[in-house]
Amino acid sequence: MEPTDPFRSFRPFGIDDDLVRRVLDEATRDGCDDADVFFEHSISTSVGLSDHAVNRAHTSIDLGAGVRVVVGDQVGYAYTEDLAPEALLRCAATARAIARTATPAPRGTTWKVASVRDLHPVQRWWSDVELDVRIPMIRRWEQGAFARDPRVRKVQCSLGDEDQWILVARADGTVAADHRPMTYGTVSVTVEQGTQRETGGYNVAGRADLGYYDEARQRRMVELAVSRGLRALDATSPPAGEMPVVLGAGGSGVLLHEAIGHGMEADFNRKNISIYATKMGQRIAGPDVTVIDSALLPHARGALNVDDEGSPTEETVLVRNGILESYLHDRISARHYSVASTGSGRRESFRAPVLPRMRCTYLAPGPVPPEDIIRSVKRGLYAEVLGGGQVRIGAGDFSFFVRQGWLIEDGVLTKPVKDVNLTGNGPEVLRTIEQVGNDLVVDEGGWTCGKEGQGVPVSQGLPTVLVGRLSVGGGRE
Amino acid sequence: MSLSPEMSALAALARRVKARAAVLGADEVTVSVSRASHVTLKRRDGHTEQSTEATTRGLTLSVLVGDRFTSNATSDLREEALESFLARCVAAARWLEPDDKRRLPDPSLVGRGVSERTLDQDDPAWAARTPADREARARALEEGILALGGVDRVSVVASVTDGRAESFRTSTNGFEDGSAGTFFSSGGELVLADGDKRPAGGADYTTRHLADQPTVERVVREAVERTRWTVGSHPIPSGKYPMILENRIAGRILGMLSGPISGASLHERRSCLLDRRGTRIASPLLDILDDPTIPRGLGSRPWDGDGLVARPMPVVRDGVLQDYYVSTYHSRKLGIPPTTGGRSNWVVRPGTRPFATIARDLPRAISITSFLGGSSNAATGDFSMGVRGLLLEHGEVVAHLSEMNVSGNLLTLLDSLAEVGNDPWTWGAVRTPAMVWPEIQFSGS
Repeated sequence: MEPTDPFRSFRPFGIDDDLVRRVLDEATRDGCDDADVFFEHSISTSVGLSDHAVNRAHTSIDLGAGVRVVVGDQVGYAYTEDLAPEALLRCAATARAIARTATPAPRGTTWKVASVRDLHPVQRWWSDVELDVRIPMIRRWEQGAFARDPRVRKVQCSLGDEDQWILVARADGTVAADHRPMTYGTVSVTVEQGTQRETGGYNVAGRADLGYYDEARQRRMVELAVSRGLRALDATSPPAGEMPVVLGAGGSGVLLHEAIGHGMEADFNRKNISIYATKMGQRIAGPDVTVIDSALLPHARGALNVDDEGSPTEETVLVRNGILESYLHDRISARHYSVASTGSGRRESFRAPVLPRMRCTYLAPGPVPPEDIIRSVKRGLYAEVLGGGQVRIGAGDFSFFVRQGWLIEDGVLTKPVKDVNLTGNGPEVLRTIEQVGNDLVVDEGGWTCGKEGQGVPVSQGLPTVLVGRLSVGGGRE
Repeated sequence: MSLSPEMSALAALARRVKARAAVLGADEVTVSVSRASHVTLKRRDGHTEQSTEATTRGLTLSVLVGDRFTSNATSDLREEALESFLARCVAAARWLEPDDKRRLPDPSLVGRGVSERTLDQDDPAWAARTPADREARARALEEGILALGGVDRVSVVASVTDGRAESFRTSTNGFEDGSAGTFFSSGGELVLADGDKRPAGGADYTTRHLADQPTVERVVREAVERTRWTVGSHPIPSGKYPMILENRIAGRILGMLSGPISGASLHERRSCLLDRRGTRIASPLLDILDDPTIPRGLGSRPWDGDGLVARPMPVVRDGVLQDYYVSTYHSRKLGIPPTTGGRSNWVVRPGTRPFATIARDLPRAISITSFLGGSSNAATGDFSMGVRGLLLEHGEVVAHLSEMNVSGNLLTLLDSLAEVGNDPWTWGAVRTPAMVWPEIQFSGS
């Protein structure tokens, strides 16, 4: 994107080649291994509907820059919302304070403009779309939800979007710019039956324009929000304890994200605090298990044209046929391990330094039809609607929340269950992935991954999978 | 209200933005500005891993144009940018449907509930803090953990963060005030080798005043002890166990109550405590006071998010639900008087015995040491969460637990509370003593 003038989007704010060079010179004055300045401008808008009225709107503008100076694995970081030259130079001087090294800073004499893909071309940027285009759409969602069932008592809908422009310039002369769209839509309902109340919801997110909301997607959002609420009325708690768990295709990818994804982020391995730190090249799962973290899925929420260090993005195979093959690298860990960055250097905003992060993590499909997997289970849990998860990187214990699922009895889905947390240990669970389905689905939901206080958009996917045992937090009466 | 020169300039900007929004057609306007500085130093294994420093600022603007509401935020405070931002915010309102419940609160309800002097949020020691001070604290924490960490240690981290934030807010209903506060955090983390595993643990503390920071010895002792608890951990058989929670952990369980008693949940009918005000919802042992006026309290504040005067509010007294958290907006939606939109500090009435004494009397109990994911459903009260913990027999640790879940229902849990300790946790906004339940469902092996 914008190959001829990467500075274009920031020129209106007084940012040009000369100023960026001065900032980098200031940052690298005492020497360093790496340094960059990251500019961000974003405009986000959301509209919300409740009580039959589209009655709230929110607009947010964020503008600023962060300067990073790296010596070995030490990072000095400073940021500012003020893009005046003196503020940027002060910021660079602050970030430099950490750097005391004999290593002369890398210095590019001319800018090398990084080539940046366009994985998510848009017809019309969100910042050019008036609210009146968004409003009829969420009103339709609401009307659709009420029309589906008289037990629907309350409906809330929202539509949010963002245009983000970034510019990253490195001391070595690499400069990259990108314009990133994002949209997310949610429908949530409260249903009542007698004195019983339940909620249901569905959300979607992607790097796309208004065209993302085709008829089928809009219909799915409404149908699933309502059907989830209604099904919860009949759902109970599963029994407590260890049992086989069949993970439904799609959002169950949260299992991979927690059980293995975070442990593959190279900073944890470089510091020797990941449970996978000594496992490179070793078998960590059965031959059916191939885990991929890709930045390249068009319009996926976790897709990235270029990472936040200006590195090209890629599809990274973390585990191939059960063998651990690669970590996820930013430039610091790539230097540490003497490999190329995997384009995984990401940050929440200009206010936060880069970390190696996941993008879209999924398990490659296997050979088994999903119905055969369910049929093979005598007694277990089928996880269908997933909530968030969490992991302890070093100990490997992780958990994720199943909002809705089914009990499996003698190979058949029998009773709906809800609101149950599942725990296990990452490496052990990977070893007990017994069957991998042929039905990979990359979930369309609005997942956000948190690490060291930074949230970044991610995607995840899974075919139907059988895990030998997980501890199921049921047993409520 | 005493503002720094930089903040006075931002306050003047806020007043100009308010006036300009009115000229552009807004009937009601609230503008808030903030300015915050913070410094973070993180050391790992003998050297500085990360040092971050920034002064950040921002402006938020809410407007009501013919009862049509938009809320907005920007960090681009250049005059010319603000003018187009303002025009956009006011113009966007025309597309919305009117909602007169968004009107600003009655002027008689807004203002300062407690003086700056009483709240004592702003420690003058912050301005004198130097990089060398932070380095010294971080090194002391690191060396302390190294000395106690043992030969199986893999990594040691020490972090020190502090900062100061100022905010100012002006509304067309006459509310105008500012506040300032400092914070100081420090903590340590230890990672140990345990076969293939590298379990981590730590301790950290945040205070408003530097002088209130705990001793290095305390942080080090806790960080090391809590990490030792993670070594050799495993699940035990699923079943019902008595549960005893340390003061620092009990707040997390009790915090599940704040969802169902929020005005938003009531209005969306996503609450298991709908129409329960004035009725018994918990054991008579449970008594919770929301108190925004605690000097140096982490949740203390002079006014709430609507500018409503901050004052103590009983939430649960002797097990009876006293009040909901009702913002101005939701009070109009629900047709009940406003209280306050969100939690400040929670003060839980202590019992008579400390954790150790209570634990000694329990032949067998699980003490949760940390939570790992999980969720609760405000509409039903059902919860299920991943946990790590300790199996205690007469107060003695007999096993380190991990890969387990605790599950139940909030209403049953509140009702079956068996004892409250005499040892409230005073380091956070939720000041709970230890708490004990006779029988809670755990799932493990």
